[in-house]
Amino acid sequence: MKKIFTLLMIFSLLLMTGCGGGEGKKPSEDASKIKLGMITRLNASEENFGEFMKKVEETLDVKISSHKPVFFDNLNAMQMALQSKQIDEISTYRSVARYMIAKDPRYEVLKDHSLEFVDSFCFALRDDETELKDSLNAVIKEMQSDGTLDRLTKEYITDIKADREPPSVELPHFDSADTIKVAVTGDLPPLDFINAEGKPEGFNTAVLAEIGNRMLKNIELVNIDSGARAAALTSKQVDVVFWAIVPVSEIIPSDTDKPAGIILTEPYFKDKIVHMIFKDEKK
Amino acid sequence: MTFTDLLYKIFIQDGGWLTILNGLWVTVQISALSLLFGTLFGALLCFFRVGKFKPLKVAAQIYISIIRGSPVLMLLMLLFYGVFARTGLSPLLVAVVTFSMHTAAHVAELLRSSLMALDKGQVEAARTLGFSKWQAFKLVTLPQLARIAKPVYQSTVVNLIQWTSVVGYVTITDLTRVINNIASRTMQPMITIMGGMIIYLALSYIIYGIFHWTERRRSQ
Repeated sequence: MKKIFTLLMIFSLLLMTGCGGGEGKKPSEDASKIKLGMITRLNASEENFGEFMKKVEETLDVKISSHKPVFFDNLNAMQMALQSKQIDEISTYRSVARYMIAKDPRYEVLKDHSLEFVDSFCFALRDDETELKDSLNAVIKEMQSDGTLDRLTKEYITDIKADREPPSVELPHFDSADTIKVAVTGDLPPLDFINAEGKPEGFNTAVLAEIGNRMLKNIELVNIDSGARAAALTSKQVDVVFWAIVPVSEIIPSDTDKPAGIILTEPYFKDKIVHMIFKDEKK
Repeated sequence: MTFTDLLYKIFIQDGGWLTILNGLWVTVQISALSLLFGTLFGALLCFFRVGKFKPLKVAAQIYISIIRGSPVLMLLMLLFYGVFARTGLSPLLVAVVTFSMHTAAHVAELLRSSLMALDKGQVEAARTLGFSKWQAFKLVTLPQLARIAKPVYQSTVVNLIQWTSVVGYVTITDLTRVINNIASRTMQPMITIMGGMIIYLALSYIIYGIFHWTERRRSQ
């Protein structure tokens, strides 16, 4: 019995130290590439993302094939991968990057990555909710023209001090009014995060509160794991989810990341995509 | 910032510990209710599975095979976003139904394997001595069944607590979801998740402690 146990222990140790397989020693084309962590898009697999990047390279004549995308379900997992050197860089929004650096100065924004994309933030709804989409579009347009969106951006994103969190948001309540259920994930501070008391906060919540006030509707925030947003929307557990649209142009059609059965509102916020590293980890 | 300051900021500041306790309470509620209903339903399934009535026996067999072979997250999402989507059932209730169903399949098999490990001759001897079927079960089978099943049942309870960590997918804010939210807010995923793991570990050791205590009481 002791012998078997000793043999098992030796075998486990060999496996743990990597002698059990030679996979890691195989020379690979990907080994020289910079592993770039990205949040999984709802409708983009690694394959079609690769195709999309290839198309961008060919059309815009820029070199981005030095990066190998690695997809993550949420920002936490991506950060842990960066900290444990499973990936070399992470791709996120400038506002999120600023928040990350404020919370942990070990992060740094890379200034010289080859492409600069700007994503647009909007709301995604079921395709039968055209009336709600029109109402949301009208309110977004109104908020853009009267400077409310700029004010909220300043208040909840740009003017946030390093040691502070964005101010809390009071959601509207109207007796006997309809309620719009919105899925929040808490995964993207300062746009979407959950405060210490477990209450959804951030820029997106502030925008929603303003929308609720203007549409005279109640807003109910449903805290959900990011992987379940599409299921929650299509099963009518929620009416709206937050969505980021990739930059639309001739080479990138607007439905690149849009699953069937979903409609998108006009964007209410735009943000640049930046690459981040841990300090002293530049390649 | 010292490590203690960091821990304070992550787990205590602004009432963060209260949010963690709320999440823990949700995890405990789902686990306890699922364990109760899962055990009762599992016992019934086992009764059907070892019984002589063929249709129920086959039905129990199919149920156990399907549920034990399916990932609990898939089952949870299927029930919440599919089967019960239009019923208005609360997410917590759907989670309890899902985990009860899942636990029941496991409990049914563990009870069946424990029954198979018993010496049938003892029941036959009891019956020969004039015990009724119920008396033979209650006085001969059940005590031995409980003793054999206990170690595996203890693991099932601990597994159940861990399985519940996926309820964030159906809009429930449990311990895992709270920990993830804190990690996102504080940008300290490593330490926060380690803290979460310690809480889950403590919960598991409480379960082990309870089983150990009952074992000691029984042997005294």
